[in-house]
Amino acid sequence: MIQLLGSLRAHAPLLRDFVRRDLKARYVGSSMGFFWSLVFPVISLCVYMFVFRTILRVRWEPTPEMVAQGFHEQSPAMTALTMLAGISIWTAFAETLSRSTNCLIENSNLIQKVVFPSEILPPYLCASALVNMCIGLAIVLLGSVILDADPAVGWAFGFRPSQLTPALVLLPLLMLLQSLFTIGLGYLLATLNLYLRDTFHVIGVATMVWMFATPIFYPDFIVQQKGYGWILDINPMYWLIEAYRDIVVEAHWPDWFPLARYFAVATLTFWVGSTFFWSQRRRVPDLL
Amino acid sequence: MSESTLTKSTPKLDSDASLAIRAHDVSKLYRIYSRPIDRLLDLLAPDPKRSREFWALRSVYIDIPKGSTVGIIGQNGAGKSTLLKLLSGVTEPTTGTVHVHGRVTSLIELGAGFHPEFSGRENIGLACSILGLNAEEVRELTPRVIEFSELGDFIDRPVKTYSSGMYVRLGFAVATCVDPDVLLIDEALSVGDEHFRGKCLTRLNEFRDGGGTTVFVSHDLGAVKSMCQNVVLIDQGEVVEQGAPERVATEYLKRVKARGNERLSMLQRGSHEYPRWGSGEIEVHDVQLLGGDGQPTRVLRTGEHAIFRLSYRVHQSVRCPVFGLGLYRSDGTYVCGTNHFWREQPISIDVVDPGETGEVDMAVPALPLLEGQYYLTTFLYDHSKPAPTAIDHREHVLTFQVVDANHHQHGLVQLSAAWAVRRQRAGGGAPENLESGR
Repeated sequence: MIQLLGSLRAHAPLLRDFVRRDLKARYVGSSMGFFWSLVFPVISLCVYMFVFRTILRVRWEPTPEMVAQGFHEQSPAMTALTMLAGISIWTAFAETLSRSTNCLIENSNLIQKVVFPSEILPPYLCASALVNMCIGLAIVLLGSVILDADPAVGWAFGFRPSQLTPALVLLPLLMLLQSLFTIGLGYLLATLNLYLRDTFHVIGVATMVWMFATPIFYPDFIVQQKGYGWILDINPMYWLIEAYRDIVVEAHWPDWFPLARYFAVATLTFWVGSTFFWSQRRRVPDLL
Repeated sequence: MSESTLTKSTPKLDSDASLAIRAHDVSKLYRIYSRPIDRLLDLLAPDPKRSREFWALRSVYIDIPKGSTVGIIGQNGAGKSTLLKLLSGVTEPTTGTVHVHGRVTSLIELGAGFHPEFSGRENIGLACSILGLNAEEVRELTPRVIEFSELGDFIDRPVKTYSSGMYVRLGFAVATCVDPDVLLIDEALSVGDEHFRGKCLTRLNEFRDGGGTTVFVSHDLGAVKSMCQNVVLIDQGEVVEQGAPERVATEYLKRVKARGNERLSMLQRGSHEYPRWGSGEIEVHDVQLLGGDGQPTRVLRTGEHAIFRLSYRVHQSVRCPVFGLGLYRSDGTYVCGTNHFWREQPISIDVVDPGETGEVDMAVPALPLLEGQYYLTTFLYDHSKPAPTAIDHREHVLTFQVVDANHHQHGLVQLSAAWAVRRQRAGGGAPENLESGR
């Protein structure tokens, strides 16, 4: 792992070039470019809001007993922001995972013909996705400052600078942990995919199941109420998304315990993934 | 950073500083698995029974001095590409060590890593940083690459709009402008048009004159001989000969001949599938090709003395039979048709009777065909009637190969031509006549 980090450091300029190229490709090829990275989350937000809030009547509104326990109601605007935060984070994670799984095969012409540091591939994919996620989170933050949070008011503007709390300083840390977790999984899956090409297809299905198992479009306490709380207890992405939401939407410090757990899991994942990848690194050109 | 990146597969520097490349006892093993899952299982619990071994290279020793141009020849599948991958550091040998001094670029990777959406200029930057150059070096280099590639205004258009020739030109420009110490070239340069190819060769010569080391891999003997001072012959993963081009070329031709004979006579077994027609009074039952040494062969050299021999057997009496031969190149080009009757001094056979056997030879003192694969069709026609009728016409009866070690001429036939240059120098004086002879 140390060697891998050293190599990433040595190839930092190349890594930067790849991220730049990827971001450009994301926005250059199409006529509306940058606009699409905003449109996609907003459209999916509208769809999920309609399905989960309007049709299925899933509410971020707790029962009276829960209010007594300190929960409070959420306005539709806040629900939308909560969902958007979840979607942005999840998209970054799922996209990196799926692209990392295929990254060695996709770049096989490079890896087989040039001495190429293939270890930069998952990190660059993750960095590129994080940039996109930051745009989403910035919108969420902006929304939480300028939208009124009172559920009785519904959709209305109200300037709330109090949403910008010192907890925001934790965002870089969260992104670092998220990167460790995502890149670790990415290394693992990319290497596995060389041995079993089915990995890529399995990952497509698995991330979909995982997405619906994570409280992105519905509040977490519903899961706990129905007795499926254990699902949340084993889902690191839930811990991560909650921490982000606490900071950006709820404007308070996140719970330390899940964050500590996430830290442990992310570090472990990165260690396992990068060790496996590094042990197979020299065989990569022969396996393509 | 660049140096450490590109030579990272060869961390120890070679003690002998005069060598650019040193391969010491290099072998490369590939494991062939029938099921992909077996490869994964092998990772968890190795078991040699799951896979087949394939040694692409076995105990290869190669020392390449700095500034030399070395050719590696061998037939398809001999292990040339594997060797090139090992020398470039893309893969690592199973046993042995490869030491390479300095930056290696290879022309096998022309355009590898270009992104279609980006302009040529942006791709130059990215390709250079993949090769390990820093931003400053890239800035310095880019104008040279653009100038050499002759892409003009296209340089700022997306690479996806390029023709394949333009794409390769940009790739070549990048690979050679980064000032490599060692240049690896795979196969003959098929870079764009004649003009650009000439420019590429000039560039390669400049590179060599500047002290660069070139490794040139090909199965084209002529190209290797014209470019290299030293040649390494690889066959079935082993170095079988190395040294002066002439000596290695002879050995190579010997092997090509042996292999070619084997392969072509295999091919021949299916020759009855080609059409054969005629009235059948006489049968051409055997067709042979004899080389300069009088032995049957399927591989001839350009300029070699060759005999095409037909053996016949007579079943019924026929008047005035005429034997002939048609010569075709493998793509169907009709090279020559001839018989013993349509000549200045014709041979005419008035009548043949049942039971007679014999041979008909067509001798070519110096075979004028150039390198390629050819086939024969035999004609046996009854010329006693105004319009000749077929007795035994056999299409595609024999396939043979022509190899040309000299490569002095290109195309289909070797013309026995003489060149002359008459110079009248400025300032008067006697005209000077230069002649090449035949």
